[in-house]
Amino acid sequence: MSRTDAVTRILFEAFGAAEVRTFYLIGYAAIAVFCYGFYVQVRKYRRGAALALEGGIWSRFGTMLSTVLSHRTLRRRDRAAGAAHRLIFYGFLLLFAGTATITLEYDILEPLFGIRFWHGEFYLVFSLVLDLAGVALILGLLYMMYRRGWLKPPKLDYARPDRVAGDADFNRPQYRREDWAFLWLLLIIACTGYVLEAARLVWLQARPDVWDTRWWSPLGALLAEGMRASGLDARSAGWVRHSLWWFHGLIALLLIALIPFTKVKHIFTSAASLMVRDPLAAQRLARIPESQPQPGVAKITDFNWKQLLNLDACTKCGRCHEACPARAVGAPLSPRDVILSLRDFAQATLESGRIPDAAELDVHGKAPGQVAMETLWSCRTCMACVEICPVAVEHVPIIVQMRRKLVEDGAMDPLLTKTLQTIHKTGNSFGESKRKRGAWSKPLPFAVKDARKQPVDVLWFVGDYASFDPRNQKVSQIFASLLHEAQVDFGILYDGESNAGNDVRRVGEEGLYEVLAAANVNAMTQASFKSVVTTDPHSFNTIRNEYPDFGGKFEIEHYTTLAQRLFAEGRLQVTKPLKYRVTFHDPCHLGRFNKGYDAPRELLKLLGCELIEMGRCKANSFCCGAGGGRIWVPDPVGSEKPAQNRIKEAAAIPGLEVYVVSCPKDLTMFEDALKTTGNEGKFVVKELIELIREAVPARLTQEANA
Amino acid sequence: MKILVAVKQVAALDEDFAIRDDGRDIDPDFLIRDLNEWDDFSLEEAVKIKEASAQPVEVVALSVGSDEVDESLRKCLAKGADRALRVWDTAIEDSDSIAIARVLAAVAKREAPDMLFAGVQSSDQSFASTGIATAAFLGWPHAAVVSNLEYAPGAKLALLRRELEGGLLHEVEIQCPAVLTIQLGINTPRYASLRSIKQAAAKPIEVLSLADVGLSAADVGVAGSLSRVRRMYVPDKGRAQLIEGDAAHQAARLAEIIREFKGAAA
Repeated sequence: MSRTDAVTRILFEAFGAAEVRTFYLIGYAAIAVFCYGFYVQVRKYRRGAALALEGGIWSRFGTMLSTVLSHRTLRRRDRAAGAAHRLIFYGFLLLFAGTATITLEYDILEPLFGIRFWHGEFYLVFSLVLDLAGVALILGLLYMMYRRGWLKPPKLDYARPDRVAGDADFNRPQYRREDWAFLWLLLIIACTGYVLEAARLVWLQARPDVWDTRWWSPLGALLAEGMRASGLDARSAGWVRHSLWWFHGLIALLLIALIPFTKVKHIFTSAASLMVRDPLAAQRLARIPESQPQPGVAKITDFNWKQLLNLDACTKCGRCHEACPARAVGAPLSPRDVILSLRDFAQATLESGRIPDAAELDVHGKAPGQVAMETLWSCRTCMACVEICPVAVEHVPIIVQMRRKLVEDGAMDPLLTKTLQTIHKTGNSFGESKRKRGAWSKPLPFAVKDARKQPVDVLWFVGDYASFDPRNQKVSQIFASLLHEAQVDFGILYDGESNAGNDVRRVGEEGLYEVLAAANVNAMTQASFKSVVTTDPHSFNTIRNEYPDFGGKFEIEHYTTLAQRLFAEGRLQVTKPLKYRVTFHDPCHLGRFNKGYDAPRELLKLLGCELIEMGRCKANSFCCGAGGGRIWVPDPVGSEKPAQNRIKEAAAIPGLEVYVVSCPKDLTMFEDALKTTGNEGKFVVKELIELIREAVPARLTQEANA
Repeated sequence: MKILVAVKQVAALDEDFAIRDDGRDIDPDFLIRDLNEWDDFSLEEAVKIKEASAQPVEVVALSVGSDEVDESLRKCLAKGADRALRVWDTAIEDSDSIAIARVLAAVAKREAPDMLFAGVQSSDQSFASTGIATAAFLGWPHAAVVSNLEYAPGAKLALLRRELEGGLLHEVEIQCPAVLTIQLGINTPRYASLRSIKQAAAKPIEVLSLADVGLSAADVGVAGSLSRVRRMYVPDKGRAQLIEGDAAHQAARLAEIIREFKGAAA
C-alpha cells in the first residue's frame, strides 16, 4: 500500500464501541422519523382525488432533472436569489452525496463485499471538492440571510391581501421563524463542519497521512493553522473534535428527521411537483368526469393528489405574489396565499391518522386555511402565477376548480349570474340577437362569405367582442378588408358561431362551456375550410387547446401570424411606413398562454414602428384585468384597475405615441383606462390591425383599375 | 307538505320582428323564450321554504304549454323543484288568462297543495290576473304583489307583506291554503348552472291532458276565455321633429312650440 493509499477519512477514530452504537441508534431513529414523516405526507396526497398523468415517467423525470440542475426556473426575475440558491443547492448536494458515499462504503460495501474506494487520491480530490462545496453553501446561506434580514424584498412579506391585521393568519410570523431556523440550521451544520475538520487536523497533526494532505481541505487547513497559532494543542483539539463531532452529527440528523415536517421538504416536494408539471395547466382546463357527483372543489379531499402535492411544493418565494395583477391593484388575492392557506388547511386536516368529518374539510370560507369567495373571484386567470412559479405550482386550475363549486352554489356577483344566463340564452355575452352576429360585416363594400354555405380556405372565428362591440366592429371591418385585399378566401359562421367559451370556462361554469364548445365544434365541423384564424386571443386559446377535448381538432392561428405570412408572401405591402414610437401589450392568451410573443413585434418592425418595451412584457406581461370573466364584473369603485396600472406604466415611456394591443378585450379595457387615468391626448390605444391599415392603404383604386 | 308553483315560459322580442300573418301575435320565429322573471322569484321562495323546513316539503312546478315549455320547467327542476307538471292540449291555444287559470285550478285541486305561488304578472302579456283568477276558481284566499313572506309549511296562517302604491306596505295574515302572487325582489333567485339543468333532465316532467285534469276543450281556448286579442300592432311613430337653422332661429322656434303646448294645456 503506497503512502497516499493510507489516506482516508477519519470517522469514528477514538470512539468507544458503545459510543459508536449510540450514534447508530440515534441515526436509525432519525431515519425512522424521516420515514414516518414521509409516509404521513404521501398518505396526505393519497387522500386527494385520483388523477392519471399523461406522458411517460422517465421523460417527466428527465425534464425535472434538467430543470432542477440548471435552476432554469429559479433564476427568473430574481437572478441573485437564483444564484444563491444554486450555491446552496450544489453545496448541499455535494456534501450530502459525500456523506452518503461514506455511509455506502463504511456500512454497506466494505462490511459486505470488502470494497473500499474512500481512500487515496479519490479521497483527496473529494475532500477538496467538499471543502469548496461547503464554501458555496455558506456563501449562499449568508446571501439569503442578507436578503431576508436587510434587503427585505416586498414579495417576502407574508402579510396577506385577503386578510386584515389582527386575523389569526394575517402575516404568519411562524413562517418567518421557520425560514430563519432553516437558514441557521444549515449554516451551523456547515460551519461546525469546518471547525470540526480543523480540530481533527490539529488533533492528528502528528500523523503524516492526515497532516501532510491537509491542504486538500484548504479551508479546514487554514482554520487548523489558525488554531495552532492561537495555541491549541493536539490534546485539547481532540477534545474539541470529539464534542463538535457529536454536535455536528446530531444536528445533521435532526435536519434529516425534520425534513418531512418542515419547509425542508421542498427538496422532495418541489422536485416531485416539477415532475408532474402540466405544460398546459392554465391553457387547457380539466373536464369534469361524468362520474363526479359535484362539480369543482368543495372539500380539501376534492383536490387531486397532484394539487395537494403542489401545495407542499410552494417555497413562499413570492414570485406569483409579485406577478399577480389582482394583488398589484390591491384586490384580496395573492396566488401565494391561496396556496399557503390551502396547504395549512391540508396539513391541519389530512396529516392525522383519521380524516375529519366532511364538514371540517370545507375549503370555502373565511376561517384560517379557508379561501374566501372574494379571493377566488378576484382572479383574472391571466396565468402570471403559473408561468413564473419555479416549482410548477398550478394555481389557476386550483382557483377555477374552487370557482366551479361557487358557480354551482350561485355564489357570485349578480352581474356575472346575469351574463351567464344571457350567454346561455343568446350565445353571446352582449345579449344581442344571434342573427346580428355577422351584422358588423354589412357596411363592407364586399360580402363576407358564409362559411356554412360555401367552402373557404380560412374560417374566421370572430368571437363576441369583435362581433358586437361597436369599437371592435370597426377593427373587424378593417381586418376583413385586409383579408379581402390580400385575396384570402375567407368566411365566417354568422349566427352559427357562439361565444367561444374560454372565459365562461375560466369563470367555472363548465356546463355552459360544454354547451358552447359543443355548438361551435358542431358548426365548425359542418363548415368546409382549411384553417381557422381569429383576432381574439381568448377564442384562439380555447379552440386551440381545449376544443380537441370536445372532438374539435382545428388548425388555428392568431391573426398576427397570418398577417406576417401575408406580408412575407407580398400579398400585403407596407407602402406608407409608420414612424410611430409604440409599445406593445402582450395579451395574456396570446403571449403567456400560447407563446405568441414574436409575430406582433415583427409586424410592428415591418410597419416601421419604433417599439419601446414596457418593463413588464412578454411572459411577464401585465393582465388588462378582463380575463377569467372579470370583464363582466366591474372592479370595485375607488380602487385602481389593472388596466389603469398598466396604462400608467406605458405613460412613463417618453414620447410614446401608440399603445398597441392585439386583443378585442384589451382595446376596450385600455381605451377606458386611457381616459380614466387622464392620459387621453398624450398617446392613443390602437389595435395592431389599425396600424397595418395605416401602413397598407386601401387598394380600392387599384382594384377599380384592374 | 306541498307547494305548487305556477310558472310561465314567456317570449321576448328579437331585434327585428314581424307580426304573424293573422295580425294577432308575433311571428314565433322572432321570439326568444325564457322563464318569466317573476316566476324565478316565486320558485325561489318555495325552494327557500323547503330548505328551511324541518319536515319534508315537495315543490312542484306547474306550467301550461307545449313541449317547448319543458326547457323552462327543467330550469325549475334544476333550481330545486322536486317535480314538474305540464298541461297541454292544442285546444288550449288562444286561451286568455282566465282560461289558463281554470286549468291551473284544476291541477291544484288534483295536487291539493298547502300553498300555491304564482308571479305577479308575466313579462310578455302583463295581464297580472292569472294567479288571482286561479284563486277565484279554487275559492281560496289570495294576496297579490307579495314582497315578504313568513310561512312554515303546514301552518294554518301565513304572514306576508304586500307592496302598495306610494311606497306603502300592507301587512296581511292569510289563511292557508292560499294563492300568493310573488313580487320581484322578495329574494335573490339562485343561479341554475348548466350542469344542474342537465342533471334535472333526469327528474320527471309529467304531461297532463285536459281529460287528466277533468276539463274539456270547451273550458279552454277561445271557448273558455272571457277576452280575445283582436289585433297586435306597432303604433305610429311619435311626433319628434328636428329644428333646423341657426341657434337663434332654433331657440325662437322652440319657444313657439312651448307656447303652443302651454296654450293647449290651458
